[in-house]
Amino acid sequence: MNSLKSHAALILALVSILSSIFLFRLFNNIMMKYQHNILNNYSIVIVSEKEINNLNEIKEIEKIEKIDITKQLEYMKKKFKNLNLESIKMPYFYRLKLKTLPSPKKLKNIEEMLKSYPNIKRVLTYSSSQTKIYNLLMLLKITSSVFMVIIAILGFLLIVKQLEVWKLQHNERMYIMELFGAPFWFRGAALFKIAFIDSILALIITVGLIIYIQNSVIYNTLLSDLNIVPDLCMQKEFLLLFVISSGISFISSVVVIIGNSK
Amino acid sequence: MGVLVKAENLYIGYKNEMVIRNANFKIYTKDFVFLTGVSGSGKTTLIKSVYGEVPVVKGSLNVGGIELNNIKKSKLSYLRKYLGVVFQDYKLIPEWTILKNVMLPMLISGIDKSTAEDEAIKLLNKVKLSHKLDKYPAELSGGEQQRAAIARAIIHDPVMILADEPISGLDEYSANLVMDLFVMANSEKGITVVIASHSLPQTFDVNYRQIHLEKGQVHELS
Repeated sequence: MNSLKSHAALILALVSILSSIFLFRLFNNIMMKYQHNILNNYSIVIVSEKEINNLNEIKEIEKIEKIDITKQLEYMKKKFKNLNLESIKMPYFYRLKLKTLPSPKKLKNIEEMLKSYPNIKRVLTYSSSQTKIYNLLMLLKITSSVFMVIIAILGFLLIVKQLEVWKLQHNERMYIMELFGAPFWFRGAALFKIAFIDSILALIITVGLIIYIQNSVIYNTLLSDLNIVPDLCMQKEFLLLFVISSGISFISSVVVIIGNSK
Repeated sequence: MGVLVKAENLYIGYKNEMVIRNANFKIYTKDFVFLTGVSGSGKTTLIKSVYGEVPVVKGSLNVGGIELNNIKKSKLSYLRKYLGVVFQDYKLIPEWTILKNVMLPMLISGIDKSTAEDEAIKLLNKVKLSHKLDKYPAELSGGEQQRAAIARAIIHDPVMILADEPISGLDEYSANLVMDLFVMANSEKGITVVIASHSLPQTFDVNYRQIHLEKGQVHELS
């Protein structure tokens, strides 16, 4: 029973750490995709007196697209028959695509820089709605990060507690082995074995949880509503979790063995 | 006979108290030595210092050509593989069977499990514990645990056996059996035997030497 408890403590700690790491990465990926979606639908509109070919000074700009106003002109011609459009010098309209979703401060800077061009007469950033979205995303990101860091810290605290238990459990055996000249790896063999088995069990449980979440209706509905398909490579993620899980277990074992060495 | 242990102006002890002061003695290969003295005279401390559990404070303690003063851990582990230690409290691993406990030094030396097991069974036969192979230390009497501890100390044919009060508290049958094992190890395998004991055995027909400890002073009596 005690042995089961001792296994459960490490497994639980590892599962919480692995889950928080995976959820953190998944959430970041979803956020990135969501930001990308928003960015695709967002652009700054500028009105210029002269044609613009580049705005190289503003590094945040990904692409400059000229807005075709022929249709609008045709419409105006029909509507205002007396209007002689040829006599009016029409300005040039451009749509600016950005590389990343800018913060409100950055957006303000971009607007200022655009306005500093003498030919640019108007800049429309739609900053009010963009700021709301950006702040909401940041709030979600920070909240989820803090939550996951707390889970990971709790997991580490559980592991520290488990190290104390291990020290008591394995102290006598390792001490006797040391008196007979057992090398480091020999003294820790049993501990390494337990730690490795626990890390594999923790990984299996975590992978099970991940697969369950990924196949859940709520998760899939939510993502399809947001029009997001996370592109995390699951094999890579599981490999990463395996490395982290076995790494933590190995380091924990080494700490106990070194701690017991007299 | 070559010198196996050589102490020169040796001081051993703890921060506040020197247990052994300015000791000079030698133990030779194939020696059978009784380390005598009253309780608290420093027998256990001296034994512990020979296998490196208690550090040398001052002077020199050389075991098998290895200087123990400021010895590195790796070198100490190497030295311990060539020693067989019998502890006063047996120090058998509680969660291991007697068989596995006896196999320990051979496993540490890298000998394969089946050879170690065969050797351990042979030795446990000799110490009359063949019927207790699968028992755990807690299931054995003090005398039986001591015999198992001696089997563990000699299984890997060490250069020297260090035994701390190996027969104290044992009944006559167990005590005789234990002493016979030491004699056998010494005479048949040429293993140096050092036994810490508060007194010399009454009847013992083996040539032995005595090193006596008194108030921190070490005297080679024979």
